Amino acid sequence: MTEIPVLHTERMVMRGPQASDFDAYAAFYASDRTRHIGGPKTRAQAWRLFAADAGHWLLKGFGWWVLETEGRVLGTVGLHHPPEHADPEIGWNIYEGSDGKGYAHEAAQAALRWAVTALQPARIVSYIDTGNTASIRLAERLGATRAAMRAEHDPQAFVYVHDLDRAAT
Amino acid sequence: MGHRDIPVLDTQRLVLRGPEPQEYPDFKATFASYRSRFMGGPLNGYEAWMLYAAEIGHWEIRGYGMWMVHLRDTDETVGMAGGWFPAKWPEREIAWILWPEQAGKGYALEATHAVRRYYYEQKGWETAVSYIDPKNLEAIRLAERLGCTKDAGAPSVDGNDAVYRHPSPEALRGTQLAHGIDMEIAHYADPLFKPKGWALD
Repeated sequence: MTEIPVLHTERMVMRGPQASDFDAYAAFYASDRTRHIGGPKTRAQAWRLFAADAGHWLLKGFGWWVLETEGRVLGTVGLHHPPEHADPEIGWNIYEGSDGKGYAHEAAQAALRWAVTALQPARIVSYIDTGNTASIRLAERLGATRAAMRAEHDPQAFVYVHDLDRAAT
Repeated sequence: MGHRDIPVLDTQRLVLRGPEPQEYPDFKATFASYRSRFMGGPLNGYEAWMLYAAEIGHWEIRGYGMWMVHLRDTDETVGMAGGWFPAKWPEREIAWILWPEQAGKGYALEATHAVRRYYYEQKGWETAVSYIDPKNLEAIRLAERLGCTKDAGAPSVDGNDAVYRHPSPEALRGTQLAHGIDMEIAHYADPLFKPKGWALD
């Protein structure tokens, strides 16, 4: 495996997960903020996900970044593709107190730009719970369009297809 | 230490290396099977893949983890063994899992003995435990063959598991216990000295 790439955006550093990031990650997964992404989760369940975020890089050559600004962790953004899902997905999780400031948008743009260059994917989607209005707004702001069909692995999820030409620029 | 720095451990019959993507199907099959019932399984495909990713991510996060165990002769995989310390674990565990069809050949004993030696001699561990479901007689038997004793005073993960304490590094340096483990492994490797079997309970 190559090293997990470090991306720099205007306000953030995007880097691979480290042990010291886990407390904030577990607190996020313990909160109601995760109701649209399969949560809340116990600390033990959250650790499995956290470790899988890191291991994803070796299995697929892409994975999750931790978003950091001035030493503060804001959330995670990443590319996710377990074999049971039809397409690689870009996802975003912003921690309490850091939402509403455009961090997810800024990081997702950087992640998409990296993915288009490094992976040359045929398609990148976001699987979004039909009730997750904040994520739906972000997907639309990123230029994604909603597919006619729901996700094969989850009938409760819309499939938003990202505009890779736009992402490259 | 991340995944890319995982050391290779050699034993008489086995080579232990970092887990790789192409080895996932064997892991998935085992965790889809009844074999995994004492390790949180059986798991569906998504759960199994996320656990495999977590096994690999453990190396990135902790600097140690579970190796993939290969046969030296054929390179085929037979299971995994190594250190395991997720959140909520009271202390560092030495864990193992064998693919169902590879049980009974002493591979788990040989692999686990090697990873324990590595953690004791190379990484400075002073102790380790294995958290075992009390109904998992096969694992308890292996723990005992490795010299572990039940530690009733140590905290368990969730109250449903028994804590088996591994012998200390000193207790494995040139002792009768160490020679006994080496001899049993040698007997597996040389069928002329095949053990005659053991009591199941």
